Amino acid sequence: MAISVVMPALELAQETGKILSWIKNEGDSITKGEPIVEIETDKITFEVEAPGDGVLAGIRSHAGEDVPVGQTIAWIVAPGEAPPAEAETAAPAARTMTATVAPVAEAPKARPAATAPEPATKVSPKAKRLAKELGVDLSRVRGTGPDGAITSEDVEAAAKAPAPAPQESTALSAIARLMAERTAQSWTTAPHFFLTRELDAGALVDARERLGKAAVTHTDLLVALVARVLLKHPKMNASWTGSGIQLHPQVNISVAMAVTDGVVGAVIPNAATASIQDIAALRKELTERARSGHLRPQDVTGGTFTISNLGMYGIDAFTAIITPPQAAILAVGRIADRVVPVDGKPGIRPMLTMTLSSDHRVVDGAQAALFLNDLAEAIREPGNVL
Amino acid sequence: MPETITATREITLGEAVREALAEEMRRDSRVFVMGEDVAQAGTAFKVLSGMVDEFGSDRVLDTPISEAGFTGIAVGAAMTGMRPVVDIMFGDFVGLTMDQMVNQAAKVHYMSGGKWKVPMVMRATLGATRRSAAQHSQSLHAWFCHIPGLKVVLPSTPYDAKGLLKSAIRDENPVVFYEDKMMFRFKGPVPAEEYTIPLGVADIKREGSDITIVATSSMVHVALSAAKLLEEEDISAEVIDPRTLWPLDEKTLIDSAKKTSRVIVMDEGYGRYGAAAEIAAVIAEGAFFDLEAPVKRLCAMHVPIPFSPPLEDATVPTEKTVFEAARALLGGK
Repeated sequence: MAISVVMPALELAQETGKILSWIKNEGDSITKGEPIVEIETDKITFEVEAPGDGVLAGIRSHAGEDVPVGQTIAWIVAPGEAPPAEAETAAPAARTMTATVAPVAEAPKARPAATAPEPATKVSPKAKRLAKELGVDLSRVRGTGPDGAITSEDVEAAAKAPAPAPQESTALSAIARLMAERTAQSWTTAPHFFLTRELDAGALVDARERLGKAAVTHTDLLVALVARVLLKHPKMNASWTGSGIQLHPQVNISVAMAVTDGVVGAVIPNAATASIQDIAALRKELTERARSGHLRPQDVTGGTFTISNLGMYGIDAFTAIITPPQAAILAVGRIADRVVPVDGKPGIRPMLTMTLSSDHRVVDGAQAALFLNDLAEAIREPGNVL
Repeated sequence: MPETITATREITLGEAVREALAEEMRRDSRVFVMGEDVAQAGTAFKVLSGMVDEFGSDRVLDTPISEAGFTGIAVGAAMTGMRPVVDIMFGDFVGLTMDQMVNQAAKVHYMSGGKWKVPMVMRATLGATRRSAAQHSQSLHAWFCHIPGLKVVLPSTPYDAKGLLKSAIRDENPVVFYEDKMMFRFKGPVPAEEYTIPLGVADIKREGSDITIVATSSMVHVALSAAKLLEEEDISAEVIDPRTLWPLDEKTLIDSAKKTSRVIVMDEGYGRYGAAAEIAAVIAEGAFFDLEAPVKRLCAMHVPIPFSPPLEDATVPTEKTVFEAARALLGGK
């Protein structure tokens, strides 16, 4: 009985995966658990393990191809057996590969593989041919033909016109592409609103000193504090489902981390109950994996609230774009000494500005303000919470 | 290139047809004419007036109203060495001749292993706007184009009519020769001296660079009028008359389409599965990667031709519809 190897769904919102390379070739004998193909999913690269023993056959998708999640990319057959023909490709993703990746088991399986195609600009056959010959990027050409169709004259004009900008990278990495898609999706569909608090971070700085500067960062402390405060504000730890609000019983904090081509949210699961030391250790591990490009699927999935800290870049304050399907993101600026009133006199205090972006479909301003207020309290007296 | 005609003499298309027939009948005693009212009446359209006086009633034969019968006689006569020219007064009547034309005339050469041939010509008419109503106004030439073994000729000028009819009569195969009944009085230069025009060679009636208008029969003149209107808008239209729908000069059509990248095909037959559809397909196949826009057909409206003059006129493409279609293909330029 042939076993299908399908493009696994490793993340909640993943629609396609890219084949990086086949580790095994057609005809190779393989044993269950052996890596057979390397794929690049939305945020990570991942080696897919063989779902069973047999011979690799019927490879349908090759290196460089984007494949919808759940689509069969190859078969494992008995020696001498032919891979099945077309049918069965639409089988749900979960049967084989996803079972080996724990966090994905509850991923929605009915997600459509592709969105409806956008109405394409018409290009005349001649223009298309000419564009190929002249190396003109048709996406930069404005059509003047019938119904705005691009004609060969438009292509010629574009070829003569100076290039608008040096060719940007045409081949986006999965991370860069996903970042573009997700931020655009979030920004254009989630009604964002922003609340800003400036607060005294003296206690936070002291807490870090106490715990050991090398072992714990301000981010770690914020992860722990935010997670604990979120327990009292379930609507901040929720998702808009399209028809309603889904509350998440578990608080998993995504920490935005810069990687080569973009940003990923590395997840500290159960951050509301984890000790500050455990949080710090895990965050450190995730940072190293992100730097070396070795984040695993489970490292970047399941986040319910994101903290993005640009303090180390000298940013005072900023607004962040919500990571779908989460409902909120906290943008943290640097801690800087400022002259502020202390007991009625000018004093110098380490101040911190936080901006909370919230999805108005899930929370309203008052609810978000109460959360931010509780968070400010927790930061003022971290000992009460930790 | 438009063929240069040096003649100063101008004659009508009807006269050109008569001249071609008379010359061929003088040249070859096997050529004879047969049909309803061809002799004493000189046909309903007076095209053959006087022919019977010169050639006698043995060679200009009036027949009963019996298209199937006299077409069958023509097929048999051609098989046995004669070169008959049958006259189908209104092209609408070809339905009666179909078995003789499709199953006999078109097939005999093939079925006899080349031992028999059918060198006959069927002259028929096409074209609407004569207020002749639905049974006397159709342009059904596409029917014959569909059949292997038949050649189909649609002249648009007196010069072409004469040269092509002479070639049709001399051809060893059955040829259907369509004259637009509205064009018998259309005048044009025709040299007095002998000439023929080979079947299967298109004529570029007007050279242009922005759009090609392929037109047949009387539609050629509509296309030429439209080309003048377009010229005022700085649009240079090329007008091509294929002259014979089979054999079809595909190369001339494709070359022009490649040159201009935009094509309108005009034909007074119905568009659906019609001659224009075939020409459009030939161009799409041959010039696809040189086209800026889909090939546009302008044909008779897909209705029985009405008797009411305003309604009838609305069924036929006009210079205005061509002009608008051309501008649309050029993106409204």
